[in-house]
Amino acid sequence: MKIFAVDTSTKCASVAITEDGVIRGEFFLNCMLTHSETLMPMTQLLFKSCRTAPAEVDCFAVNCGPGSFTGIRIGVAEIKGMAYALNKPCVAVSALESMAYNFQPCDAYICCVMDARCSQVYNALFEVMENGVVRVCEDRALSIEELTEELKTLDRKIILVGDGAELCYNKMKTELSTVELSPENIRYQKASGVCMAAESKYNEGKTLTSSELMPTYLRLPQAQRELMAKSKNK
Amino acid sequence: MSEYKSNSPEKTMELGQKLASMLTGKEVIAYFGGLGMGKTTLTRGIVSGLGGEDVVSSPTFAIVNEYKAKYNVYHFDMYRISGWDDLYSTGFFDYLDNGIIIIEWSENIENALPEDIIKIEISKGNSDTERIFRIEGAEV
Repeated sequence: MKIFAVDTSTKCASVAITEDGVIRGEFFLNCMLTHSETLMPMTQLLFKSCRTAPAEVDCFAVNCGPGSFTGIRIGVAEIKGMAYALNKPCVAVSALESMAYNFQPCDAYICCVMDARCSQVYNALFEVMENGVVRVCEDRALSIEELTEELKTLDRKIILVGDGAELCYNKMKTELSTVELSPENIRYQKASGVCMAAESKYNEGKTLTSSELMPTYLRLPQAQRELMAKSKNK
Repeated sequence: MSEYKSNSPEKTMELGQKLASMLTGKEVIAYFGGLGMGKTTLTRGIVSGLGGEDVVSSPTFAIVNEYKAKYNVYHFDMYRISGWDDLYSTGFFDYLDNGIIIIEWSENIENALPEDIIKIEISKGNSDTERIFRIEGAEV
């Protein structure tokens, strides 16, 4: 089975094609260019380089969120368009889950964190077992402070992954001896991870039509606070 | 904190150009102050100081204008932004660290502003044409 996947949920952009669990090709960029400039050329070149036609793809997958508002819309729009044109099924993947696929089975919690600004993160915890990635909690948005308190209750090594990993590590390291920063080469979500996550969802029958595929945004805890400062809010 | 007085659009432009010479590419500049204070003129000065030739206008309806210059400049007007969901859906957080961000009506999003920013409070001076710019976060 061939899967084509896209990730544009942060500043990084990537596209990948897998065939029966083997990565046939992948492009990854983290160079501050906008997704609207890079995504289509990368997609075109990937198909050309892999000598694959989009019509050969069995399943189109994308990181539907959480993450950058504009980024997610760009990725979802591309996958929606391709799947609609070719009348193929789609799979929605969590950006947090896709980055857990960077890891080999290990005796640690994979703590995926994306910077949601204003000292908040999008987060989910995973364990990587011999038989795959196991989700420990649902995707959520919370303050770094809250996450730190929660991680204190865990008794195993915690590996921080994602574009919020360094931010969290710097804030947590003095209070938490169990946290570790993942190496740069496996720090970010990649389209190949989206393919892996999509393959197991596809096998479980969790596919969507192109019109059912939608961005998933998480409500930030700050939404309960005033956006205007109190002093000015008269 | 520094204070700068201007009596004319030309002087306000000059202040913008001075500010521009100090920027390194990722600053957030937040304006505080109501209508007719010279916010657009100051922005015009910053953009021209960065060598930009684009026409600068108030992004009241577009919410954000983009100008090409030595660094990309993203010019926001937060006048109509009234909640976090509004702000998130402007893509504001996606623009941070990608260029110079200039924000009009910062009052409306004060709790979402990053920590290290240049704050410019503009108020009326003694005469109708005089404006006082109180600048925090940069020595002009």
